[in-house]
Amino acid sequence: MSTTSAGLEFHDVTVAYGRRPVLWNVDLTVPGACLFGIIGPNGAGKSTLLKAALGLVPLAGGEVRILGAPLEQVRSRVGYVPQRESVDWDFPVTVTDVVLMGTYARLGWLRRPGPRERSLAAECLDRVGLADVADRQIGRLSGGQQQRVFLARALAQQADVYFLDEPMAGVDARSQERIFRVLSDLRAEGRLVVIVHHDLRSVAEWFDAVALIDMRLVATGPVAEVLTPENLRRTYAGRLDVLDEIGRAVAEGGRTP
Amino acid sequence: MILAVADMAFPAGWIPPYNTLVVAAGVASVGFAAGVVGCFAVLRRRALAGDAAAHATLLGVGLAFLLGGGRRDLPLLLGGALSTAIAALLALVLIGRWTRTRDDAATAIVLGVSFGAGITLLSGISARGIPGSAGLEQFLLGHTAGLTAADAMILGALSLLTVALVALFLKESTLVAFDPLFAAASGWPVTLIDYALVVLVAVMVVVGLPAAGAVLVTALVVIPPVTARQWTDSVGVMLPLAGLFGLVAALSGVAVSSAVPRMPTGPLVVIAASILLTISLLIAPRRGGLARWLRARRTVAAWAEGRLLEVALRLEVQGPFTREQLLAKAPGAAADSAFKRLVRSAAIEPVVTRAGTHAWRLAVWGRELAAERSRRLAAWTEVLEAAREDARGHLTIDVPSPEAILGAARMKAIRESAAAARSASGPA
Repeated sequence: MSTTSAGLEFHDVTVAYGRRPVLWNVDLTVPGACLFGIIGPNGAGKSTLLKAALGLVPLAGGEVRILGAPLEQVRSRVGYVPQRESVDWDFPVTVTDVVLMGTYARLGWLRRPGPRERSLAAECLDRVGLADVADRQIGRLSGGQQQRVFLARALAQQADVYFLDEPMAGVDARSQERIFRVLSDLRAEGRLVVIVHHDLRSVAEWFDAVALIDMRLVATGPVAEVLTPENLRRTYAGRLDVLDEIGRAVAEGGRTP
Repeated sequence: MILAVADMAFPAGWIPPYNTLVVAAGVASVGFAAGVVGCFAVLRRRALAGDAAAHATLLGVGLAFLLGGGRRDLPLLLGGALSTAIAALLALVLIGRWTRTRDDAATAIVLGVSFGAGITLLSGISARGIPGSAGLEQFLLGHTAGLTAADAMILGALSLLTVALVALFLKESTLVAFDPLFAAASGWPVTLIDYALVVLVAVMVVVGLPAAGAVLVTALVVIPPVTARQWTDSVGVMLPLAGLFGLVAALSGVAVSSAVPRMPTGPLVVIAASILLTISLLIAPRRGGLARWLRARRTVAAWAEGRLLEVALRLEVQGPFTREQLLAKAPGAAADSAFKRLVRSAAIEPVVTRAGTHAWRLAVWGRELAAERSRRLAAWTEVLEAAREDARGHLTIDVPSPEAILGAARMKAIRESAAAARSASGPA
């Protein structure tokens, strides 16, 4: 990965649904190789920010650059974990089938996954601890297992920048730790991992840097500098009672990368 | 039943003429292709859009008939049908994009308007007694008797072409049908693939017109995939299976209608398809209604038996127990019959007391059963506390052995981490 260009840049990004802006004037630069959290209350536009980076929603203004280039030029280096609710889990495919979908973009039109893709899929399933359910229909998994199937599929994309939309939603503590470990490994391998996240408590433990957003960017930077009581109040506008407490805990015990 | 009717139609020793055979083969491939193509319409939840397209075909048939100067040329009429079917789909897309009408309302509107226009046009044509218009109403409910071998060959060829396209782009279609967001994010032209799949459905609806008619052809596209889904959890199996069900439905419909004069094919095809569907909904393993009902019953029964054994093990410490004592500690609708089964299988045996009252105790193997179940439940509780995901993913109500499912090594690790957690949270 080039050291001169940032991993991910938003320049003056505005997204609107109809006439209502959901995100405005977001200027945000994420350095390479880190675990980066996008934090904010429900309806703050966290997922929209991710979708804007992936070209899944049209920009009303501004531009996004990934690894210093427009998305079209680096799409093959971008991995994605959508929200779990975005698909029908009764769909007739197995766990392995879904993970293999991560190799489809590289395969291109018409070519089918072969032994190389199958062994990659098996390896990715092993990394997230799902080797024993590889042949199961995806509906016959627990919520945390389904979330890890999506993570394995993203691993099979072999990307340099990963976008994850609420990967911890409905996931128990142990699965959460397992997912965070895999993500930390990705960072150690020099990749950038951008996570939409809502649980403030785990932020200080795992993330290097965060952006607090609520329709606009409130603050961004290393966790300890950003999660101050003042910033949290401006983001959540009094929607959380425990804000000060968490802010103080973060300021005292948070990691500084 | 189908065979009996076929016997009526084709008396023994009678060899069907070339034309009949070609028409049968053509209709068989239409049924097969409709089932295959329909799978993605069903999986992508676009079945109703196909229905709107089907109802719009009549308008195209009428327009093509007028444009062609009253010729009853099948390729021309089907060409007209395809153009209005695609126009209807286009109208759906545009209504969805530029107005705030919901999908189901938009579908109902397009279906109603285009069908109304089609019926009006066809009635007008037939009221004027334009020569050659007599057979047009056959497109309403389907009628294969008038098909020539040449017509059937065209239908068959189109069907095989659509099947080939679906098979060729199976990977892409499955990806887009399952997770369009992910597909778009990794650079696939999702809208293009989506439209291509819908157009294939429109083509199949048109090709299926002679067999099933505008009103019922959607059933030929939708019912076989739903039937096939009952039997398999894999797209790769679902497609050919749906094709097979479609083929059987189409052929039996055509066979029956050829035996009865003036009987339209469409309703018969749909009846055949729905017989297959009903059977599948009832008896398919795992997804079928019967299997689900039995599973639910067995679940309740197994749990009740387990609970009774567990309670019996505790009561037994103070000597033999009565049935009432046992049922009072393990109540439930299934408890009574569970008790009878335990007695019948001799897991619980009667004890003769001096007073002559009925008392019971656990037989040796019943005691082993109860002890093993208690042990397993305790182990699962440990798993639940130390590794919740494993317990939630694997524990079923018949309480399987956690060692057998998770492996001895994993259980050991779980036990150790549970012990570590206990000593960490315990008093210093």
